[in-house]
This record gives sequence, C-alpha cells and structure tokens, in this order.
Amino acid sequence: MINLAQKDISHTLGKFVVTAMGVGMLLGIVLIMIGVYRGLLVDAQILLDSVHADIWVVQENTMGPFAESSRIHEDLKDSLKVIEGIDKAEAMTFQNLQLYGQEKPVRVTAVGYNPHAEINPINKNHLIQGRVLGQAHYEVVVSVETGFKLHDTINIGRNIYTVVGVLTKGCVSSSGDPLIYVSLKDAQELQFSYSNANIRNDRDRGIASGGDTHIANAIVATIKAGYDAKEIAKKISMWKHQSVFTNEEQITVLTKNLVERSAKQIGLFTVILVVVSTIIIGLIIYTMTLEKIKEISIMKLIGIPDSLIVKMVVQETVLLGFFAFVFGTVFSQLTYDKFPKRVVLESPDAFILFGVIIIASILASFVGVAKVVHADPTVAIGG
Amino acid sequence: MQKEQSMRVENLVKNFGSGESLVSVLDGASFTINKGELIALVAPSGAGKTTLLMMLGCVVEPTSGGIWLGEEKVYGNRWLTHNSRKIRRQKIGFIFQAHYLIPFLNVLENVTLVPQTNKVPTKEANAHAMELLKYFDIAEKAYAKPSQLSGGQNQRVAIARALANNPEIILADEPTAALDTERSISVVKMLKKIATEQNVAIIMVTHDERMLEYCDRVMKIENKKVVFE
Repeated sequence: MINLAQKDISHTLGKFVVTAMGVGMLLGIVLIMIGVYRGLLVDAQILLDSVHADIWVVQENTMGPFAESSRIHEDLKDSLKVIEGIDKAEAMTFQNLQLYGQEKPVRVTAVGYNPHAEINPINKNHLIQGRVLGQAHYEVVVSVETGFKLHDTINIGRNIYTVVGVLTKGCVSSSGDPLIYVSLKDAQELQFSYSNANIRNDRDRGIASGGDTHIANAIVATIKAGYDAKEIAKKISMWKHQSVFTNEEQITVLTKNLVERSAKQIGLFTVILVVVSTIIIGLIIYTMTLEKIKEISIMKLIGIPDSLIVKMVVQETVLLGFFAFVFGTVFSQLTYDKFPKRVVLESPDAFILFGVIIIASILASFVGVAKVVHADPTVAIGG
Repeated sequence: MQKEQSMRVENLVKNFGSGESLVSVLDGASFTINKGELIALVAPSGAGKTTLLMMLGCVVEPTSGGIWLGEEKVYGNRWLTHNSRKIRRQKIGFIFQAHYLIPFLNVLENVTLVPQTNKVPTKEANAHAMELLKYFDIAEKAYAKPSQLSGGQNQRVAIARALANNPEIILADEPTAALDTERSISVVKMLKKIATEQNVAIIMVTHDERMLEYCDRVMKIENKKVVFE
C-alpha cells in the first residue's frame, strides 16, 4: 500500500526539513533549559564534594553559609576535636568577592581555609596548573573561569595575591560563580576587618571596632569510622548551641531549598516551551493540511477512506515531531558548552522529552485530522 | 443482443429544505444506462446537473427513489450500505474539469491508489495501471510527477485513474470545459473509444453542444425530470 505521508514529505522535503529544524531549535532550547537545571544541581554540590566533610557546624538557628549569614568562633574547632567520634575539624569561610584586573570585574566565591590544616577543600583532581596553597598569606588558587593565569597577581582588599594554582573549568559555587581559595587568615581579614579609616572613625565615635577577626562561617568536621554523623551532630547541637548539619542535610539545603525556586522557574519555562512547540506543530500541520485540502477532498470523492488520510496526517505530524527532536538534540549538543553557566545534558531527560514530544505531536495532529474529517468531497464537482 | 445494464435509476427525487422553503430539484427521474454507452448530460445552469451527478456518484443522498449499480441496488429510499465511499471506490470512476491528480504521487501511484485501497495486490494493481497507461500512450511517464506532465497528459492519467478500479460507470464533470474545440473533440472521442473498448458507461456533463454528436445519447433535465433525446 502506498504510504501517503512518506510520499507527501518527499514531495516537499526541503520545506519539511526547514520546519523540523525550526521546531527542533525550540526543542533544543527545552533540552538546554533542563540541562541548566541539572547544572544547578551539579554546581550546588561541587564545593560540598571538594570539602568532603561529614558535619557542618554553623551559627545557631541558621542554615549555614550557603543559605544565610553564619558567624562562628574559629576556636570552636578545638572544642569539636575532643568530642568522641570527631576525627578532624577545621574552620572555613565562604564569601563573595569581585576580582579586578580583567576587562570586567569577576564575581567569585572565595573559600578561606587553613593551608596547613588536615582538611583541604581543594580537590586536587581539579588542579590543572600549579599547586594548592602553601603559605598562610597572599596566595590564591583560582578557577580557570576567572580568567587569571598561573603567577598572575591580583589585588584583593588591601593586599596583592599571587595565583599559585589554577582549577579546571566548572569549579563553581552553587550560584555558578567561579571558586577561588585563599588562606583562612587572609579570608578573615577580607571579611571581618575594617579599613584603617573606618577604625579611626569608629574610635572617634567611641565605638570599639576592628577587634576580633578569629571568626569563621562554618566549622567542618570529619568523623571516625563506626560513628554515626547524625548522633554526633545532635550532640554538638545540644552542648555547643550551634546548628549542625550532616553532609547529606547540607546537600538538601543546597539542592532543595536554594535551587528549588530556580528549578520551578526553569520547569515552568520548559513546560511553556513544550506547550508552544505543540501549538506550533499543530499550526504547521493545520497549514500543511489546508494546503492539501483540495487533494484530500478529491481523495474522499474517489473513495479513499478517512482512516488512510488521517493516517497520513498523523504520521506526518509524528515524523515532524521526531525529526524536530533529532534536530533539537543536535542543536543542544552543539551549543550547550557555549552557555556561561553549566549545562548538563542527560540521556534520561532526552528520552522523557522524546516521549512528551511524540504525545504532543499526536495531540497536535488532531487539528489536521479535524480538517480532514470535515473536508467536503463535493468541492471537485460542479466547477 | 440484450445490452448489459450499468446503472438504473427509478423514481429518483431530490428536495432541499422543507416546508415553505422546500426546493425540488428532481421529481421522479427514471432511466437506465448500459455498458459501452457515452451519455451527455445537458441542462441549463441551476437545473440540477451537479446534484444528479453527485447522487449517481453516491456523494449526495437522494430524498427517495432507487439506484442500481450493475445488478446491485445501492439506494432504496436510503443507502443500502453504511459505506458509500466504498461503493465509489469499487464501482464508480470520476473525471473532473481539471485533472485533480494527487501532486505528491507519481503517475503510476495516482492510478493505483484506488485499486490498492480496494486491497488489490500491488503487483496486480501496477500491471493493470501500466496496461491503462500504455492504452493512453503515456506509460513512459509512469514515474513522473503530475507537475512534470502537460495538461493533456495529466488529463489522460486522470482518465486512466477513473478506469483503474474497473468501474460500472464513469462520471465525467465537464471534462472539456477548459479546453479549446479541437482538444475537446479529441477528449470526447477518446471517451467514446474508452466506453466502447473498455465496455464501461460514461455520463459526461457538458455545456458544449458540438460534443453531443459524438455521444450515444443526450440526457436532459427538463421540468425536474430526466429525458433523453
């Protein structure tokens, strides 16, 4: 039996391909939107994975430095180290900075840690040039996305820092800002010290300022084998009057609480784009059916059953959806790494989108099918 | 020798509307058409030619009466089959003013579309279609698209399509309307030849009285009745 859809598509192949490419670009954007969401989840966990802590101790009644401001005394780490089950504990700071020296200021997330301590938050697998911090002052390890190179000098605050290590692309915070690492002492000065002029001004006003900089944003700790992180967290929370999160809880804070709104936003965009794609496919099929309405009327008049003509319309719509999906996939694969933020394309997402588009195509074909059903076979008779 | 009946119509009535707005188009048309006949259907505009043609083609339902295609009664105050489209593709061939070929199918596919829909095996349908195309001297264009053919060639393909399902009758709706006299005569002669050689009845609507001499009989609609000259 003649396949009418195949014949019709072959007859107007160029038009069909261009149409599929157009819809495909829309679907490509859908895939990239999903990839942006996946990227947010990946970015949210990079820092946590690098720190590799079991417990995060933060200011009481806060959710930690990634969600809200948290200040905690640095020496709490020493108190934690004596708690049964704690293996290592170190203070760390997390703050946003603007780095100057490139064409435009670069917004970064700076992590402060003690380079001589046992917990090092730099994943050495991510180091592509240089080394981790070796001195207590004026060294910085930067993500390659900052644009700075090894041995470059950067003015940060009142001091000049030398780049001693460069991290691979993708070392970013949950907000997508490139990571840099400085010593804890430098970070504390950057975050908690006032300028000389400010201190003088405060003194004149009778306010004591510029005192204690031995503050951190969190104390991270690892636990010994055989101990339960939740039990230890509960104990610290009870006796030290701090908020304590296990690593899993901190991941939840980042992926659920912080990324949730972005995820909803992206999800809504994705749904809207899929609906728009469905409407566009429907309109295209409607137009394609209208263009053939005379032929459809003739076919009905000479006795071709509706089922055969409807099959043609549905097959054309599904094929349009299929090829649009193929073009969309190619488009997303070619462009995803051009986006400034991480885009993670995963096969399961593509498979789900494929299913959705096929169903959407079938739904979209109904407008063409309705036109077929109502086509008047008598239009060819009587001039 | 008794001629073989192609179509019989008895007391066919067609009204549009009802009550005060009732319009009667045909009021008791009865006639028989035999195989091998070329019939010209002539009537002034608005007399009901198209309506009659559509009723005979099982496209529009009459108000009452009876229609036989061959020996099979297809209408007796109602359609006697639930699928009038099946009757059309099995027993009737259509020729239009324009060729109305399907532009995305090639010549052979256009001719075999109806037989294949009738579940005639592809090989058999293709062989029959090629015979018809040879008969119309257009076999070498079997794989060309209608857009690659001249108007005359397309019209011959359209006639081959009308014959492809071995119909009881062919209904031709003003096939010469868009042609000059010379070409019109050529087409009508061809239809006469087909009617005779293929042993099929053809009813041809025409406004051109010069074509009537090539037809076996002339059917007219006068005072809502069908009469023959």
